[in-house]
Amino acid sequence: MVKKRLYLELENCIGCRSCLAACTQCGGHEQRNRNYVYDVNPLKNRQTMPLMCLHCVNPACARSCPAQAIQIHETGAVLSALVEKCIGCQNCTIACPYGIPKFDTEQNLMYKCDLCIDRTKDGIPPMCASVCPSNTLQWLTDEEIEAKQKQFNLDNGKWVTSMPYLEGETNVRVNLPGILQGVTKLF
Amino acid sequence: MESTIQSAKKRDNTVNNAFASHFAKSMFLTVVGLAILVFIGTRMFTHIDLNLYGYMVGTITFLGGFFYRFISWGERPPTKIIIKKGLKLLFRKSTAKTAVSHLAIYDFIKKRGFYRWMQHILIGWGCVLACLVTFPLVFSWMYFNMDGNGYYTVVLMGVDLVRIKADGIIAWFSYNALNISAIMVITGVCMALYRRMKNMQARAEQKFMYDFLPLYMLLFISVTGLLLTVQNVFLHGWMQPQMSLIHQFSVIVTLIYLPFGKLAHIPFRPMSVLARNYREHYGEQHMKECKVCGDKFVSVEQSNDVIQVLGTNNMEFNMEDGFNLAELCLPCRRKYRIARFSGFATHQVKVKEANQNARG
Ligand code: SF4
Ligand code: SF4
Repeated sequence: MVKKRLYLELENCIGCRSCLAACTQCGGHEQRNRNYVYDVNPLKNRQTMPLMCLHCVNPACARSCPAQAIQIHETGAVLSALVEKCIGCQNCTIACPYGIPKFDTEQNLMYKCDLCIDRTKDGIPPMCASVCPSNTLQWLTDEEIEAKQKQFNLDNGKWVTSMPYLEGETNVRVNLPGILQGVTKLF
Repeated sequence: MESTIQSAKKRDNTVNNAFASHFAKSMFLTVVGLAILVFIGTRMFTHIDLNLYGYMVGTITFLGGFFYRFISWGERPPTKIIIKKGLKLLFRKSTAKTAVSHLAIYDFIKKRGFYRWMQHILIGWGCVLACLVTFPLVFSWMYFNMDGNGYYTVVLMGVDLVRIKADGIIAWFSYNALNISAIMVITGVCMALYRRMKNMQARAEQKFMYDFLPLYMLLFISVTGLLLTVQNVFLHGWMQPQMSLIHQFSVIVTLIYLPFGKLAHIPFRPMSVLARNYREHYGEQHMKECKVCGDKFVSVEQSNDVIQVLGTNNMEFNMEDGFNLAELCLPCRRKYRIARFSGFATHQVKVKEANQNARG
């Protein structure tokens, strides 16, 4: 099985929020979405961008968890809290540099994106990437991501797949080719 | 380079030293404590029930495994903080209430689903009941003295507690406590197994060693325990000594397994009370204001603790804009991330974050 990654081309987002709806339908998500869609400049235009767990290689959430409730899957996915282990301290929500983990006070339980692990562990794309109509969220091999890099061959050397534009190395790759090329597609 | 390796080694060593001594100390104190309790309970070792000897060995092995796990776990920086600060706050007024809600009636599990809560009540309280009966008998903290005229004397910790009628209701409950607990556990385990087999989601996630093995072990214990009663009542004790050995074996194996698999959450669960105290206490003292919007979102103490824990992992999220990411409330932190992507200061726009919940 070829390893694939979640790859985001943020500026393609049209704000349909399909990814949020799809997230609720993933097995084990118990009808609650774990991702976000933001208006970039809500008072001026309609550009949106999705935000989800980037599955850090060295995840702050798991490092700060006193109960070792956040496990890292062999695929690199940083899983949601194990229900029997999470003690409800909310350290993870404070630690994550992107504010991703959500907390249910009634259930005393943290829940977060698990990259739809029962799908992705078998090579099936996560729910969000399966439904995204604008190719903002894609499920690609490293070669395909490299091909993208060639396609957006930027003369200014600005090709972003995550580092150094994030707080740390991540398993998810993020890119903004248009903005970095200076194509005024948005704003 | 060399020096970093050396200093890493050194640190390793001190951790290991502390670990070994912690372990030895806890183990020693507990075993001595047990021995003293047995000494008192058995009126200076005059009433030991050696049939139950296997359980004693099992318990001690369990303690070894438990301390090993607990201490290596407690050495992790975030765990250490919660344990240390949580224990200091143990005598808060709310502790009793939180403990009952978290450890006795499992309110939070009810919110996760009634079926799972039922399972927990049956298995949890079935096991507690069984332990409350078994271990005092094993260590002879409690035993029954036959008076000869239809009465038993219950002896607790060497003190004659009450005299009960041998065919009375209290006696009936005492004889049958283990049967009742076995039926509770069997019902709960069957509910759990049914869910695991029927629910497609549970099926996708489960692993035999982690999810099924503990259930089968509990089932094995309860069934062999019940069979003992059946042999006694209906079969005049036929094959009872053998079954008794099998039952003891099942309990001992489970005790040894307990600190390592899924059941490990039982001894570790009281941590949730410490965590709640920690959040409540420091939350009342001083709340952190978000560096962007000013919302109070977490206690200053916890924010600092998390920053410090991340520091020990060489993670520092200090931004050029003059704050640490742990000082932003969650919506502002997410908007700040969007701002870093787009180059437009989304977090500075004074608009509440749009609804992020797909279900409205
Ligand atoms: S983005 Fe946040 S929640 Fe996701 S792995 Fe990293 S620290 Fe954890
Ligand atoms: S809330 Fe749960 S998952 Fe998050 S750090 Fe605390 S124990 Fe770990």
